[in-house]
Amino acid sequence: MTTETEATPTRDLESMEDIIIAENVDKWFGDFQALDNISMRIKEHEIVVVLGPSGSGKSTFIRCLNRLEEHDAGRIVIDGIEMNDDVRNLNAIRSEVGMVFQQFNLFPHLSVMNNITLGPRKVRRMPKLDADALAMQLLERVGIPEQAEKYPAQLSGGQQQRVAIARALAMQPKIMLFDEPTSALDPEMIKEVLDVMQELARSGMTMIVVTHEMGFAREVADRLIFFDEGSLVEEGTPQHFFENPQEDRTKLFLSQIL
Amino acid sequence: MVDMPAQNPQRIVLPPHRERARRPRIVRFREWARRNLFNSRAGTALTIITAAILALIVYGVVYFVFVDANWRVITENRWLLFAGGYPMDQEWRLWFSVMFVFLLIGLTYGTWASLGRRDHLFIVLASGFAILLLAHGGAAIWSTIWYLIAVGLLYAGYAIMIRMPREAGPGRTLQQRSVAGLLIAALPIILIVLLAFGGARPRELEGFVLNLVLAPVGIAGGLVIAIPLALGRASRMRAISWTCTTYIEVVRGAPLLGWLFVALFILDDVIGGELIVRAMVVLAVFTAAYMAEYIRGALQALPGGQSEAAHAVGLNQFQSMQLIVMPQALRISIPPMVGQAISIWKDTTLVTVILPLRELKGNADSAIAQFEFTPDRIEAYVFVAVVFWVVAFIMSRISQRVEGSLGIGER
Ligand SMILES: Nc1ncnc2c1ncn2[C@@H]1O[C@H](COP(=O)(O)OP(=O)(O)OP(=O)(O)O)[C@@H](O)[C@H]1O
Ligand SMILES: [Mg+2]
Repeated sequence: MTTETEATPTRDLESMEDIIIAENVDKWFGDFQALDNISMRIKEHEIVVVLGPSGSGKSTFIRCLNRLEEHDAGRIVIDGIEMNDDVRNLNAIRSEVGMVFQQFNLFPHLSVMNNITLGPRKVRRMPKLDADALAMQLLERVGIPEQAEKYPAQLSGGQQQRVAIARALAMQPKIMLFDEPTSALDPEMIKEVLDVMQELARSGMTMIVVTHEMGFAREVADRLIFFDEGSLVEEGTPQHFFENPQEDRTKLFLSQIL
Repeated sequence: MVDMPAQNPQRIVLPPHRERARRPRIVRFREWARRNLFNSRAGTALTIITAAILALIVYGVVYFVFVDANWRVITENRWLLFAGGYPMDQEWRLWFSVMFVFLLIGLTYGTWASLGRRDHLFIVLASGFAILLLAHGGAAIWSTIWYLIAVGLLYAGYAIMIRMPREAGPGRTLQQRSVAGLLIAALPIILIVLLAFGGARPRELEGFVLNLVLAPVGIAGGLVIAIPLALGRASRMRAISWTCTTYIEVVRGAPLLGWLFVALFILDDVIGGELIVRAMVVLAVFTAAYMAEYIRGALQALPGGQSEAAHAVGLNQFQSMQLIVMPQALRISIPPMVGQAISIWKDTTLVTVILPLRELKGNADSAIAQFEFTPDRIEAYVFVAVVFWVVAFIMSRISQRVEGSLGIGER
């Protein structure tokens, strides 16, 4: 299914290992089925953009990938680690998977610095000096080193989201999940966050991004996935999606959003 | 923190306003009065009636305080009211505690808030009140000196802390940690100073000293019990949440007075002899039930994204509670908690029912039981009321200021 895109001609995803494997995943909320038999494989370094109307299960799916939601049936394997009730597996997975939320979810009572260093220090037992150095490096990378000692409430939305990205990167994850990272932002701040994400994509991070930013999807994604009513309806390259979508539901959705 | 935020001057200087502000004060006052006091016929009538009532009250208070009242009931019974059965030759222990507490207030204010003009005014007035009381009888000079040293310590602690930079950083963290540590250690330290190494026996804690010991023990103990209680009530494990809910509902189902009687008659077998310990246990257990509910409310008010984000960076359930959820929940619940603290402060008077625990109000009763002072009941109670108010006011004031400056991180 996956093919190389023109945007990243040097990458050879075909030869990569599957880093995320989902097989026949179901998720129920009470008697409402939020995910229906989802199967997909994602290669290391691949950039996947997830599309779909509101309530289609996009968030639920990527939240299953770091067990913020527990799937009810099927299998999820992350980097060779089975997602099950074993706490050691869960801890291993969570430190390999970073997540960025729509509402940033920064810790308001901690400074930017402490937001970023908390994970490395408490989970990886990294010495404070090393963690601070790492945090500064990441803040440079997302372009706001001067905000290190501020509190989240003192930052703009775009800056907060960039801190949230730095916080997730501080755990040195192999995979990054983004759940509508720009949806809560004012238009003028969306680009600064997308730029950071694009840089991240170029650096070889495996990324799953739920977004309505079609420009980003077209330029950065290796593969697009379309969800509707809890099912995986269609997947393919950006070219396939924007020029030649097959399913009616996909066409309808794209016609509304483009 | 700063009274006048530095702003773009162009924003402040609006010409019409400036014109208005330039006119003589009396003209401005007249205008203000016309607008706010005499804006209509009914308004004028109301203003006049209110003013008359106020004048009567002020006259009554002034007349009572300065002419009618016989304050000897207080000054003569100073020791009885404040320390009661505390051994007089150990007075230095009391003064040490006072100085320590004043120093702590200074440090706290200097670290998390700042003293405004009103705070200084309050300190001066309260000190005047205290010195008026102390400057009688044999040890007048020394008591006054000790008191003034305590106030000096308050300002010294304040002066040192306020000069430290407030910007986040290792220095600031160290400062906050040290002061917080001192605050936590304060209660045990004071109890040791009062009781250990040749100090008083627990039953000799009396009068105002007893109130001042009971309330913090009740509040601190309550908080310590309340946190696991709140978590337990929110727990998904039925047995735990059911147990905690039962505790909370049962304790809140009866008044403190009732629980004190339980302490007096029933706890005898369980906890044993020392009455003051039983009173402390009851106060802590009682306070905990209320505080647990405030904390639970705060836990519910906290956005779910916080613990999700904590898990997403790899923290486990306990770390997420300890580092992310609890600190925020506790801060949200400061206002109702302070309300509860003030209420338990006043309720320490109820321990009088457990004879022979004699707190301030109880000893005021004994003061007016003396033949000489039987006519001075009102003076004694007014005094007790004022003392309680002063402490309650300090509590609410400090918490307001500290809360304000803790708000930095709020969304
Ligand atoms: N905790 C929950 N309890 C019950 N139902 C839920 C819960 N979380 C999600 N749902 C339901 O599951 C469905 C999928 O939700 P999900 O959040 O995954 O949608 P989404 O595709 O991310 O939508 P959006 O674009 O609005 O974010 C929705 O119908 C939602 O109401
Ligand atoms: Mg969603």
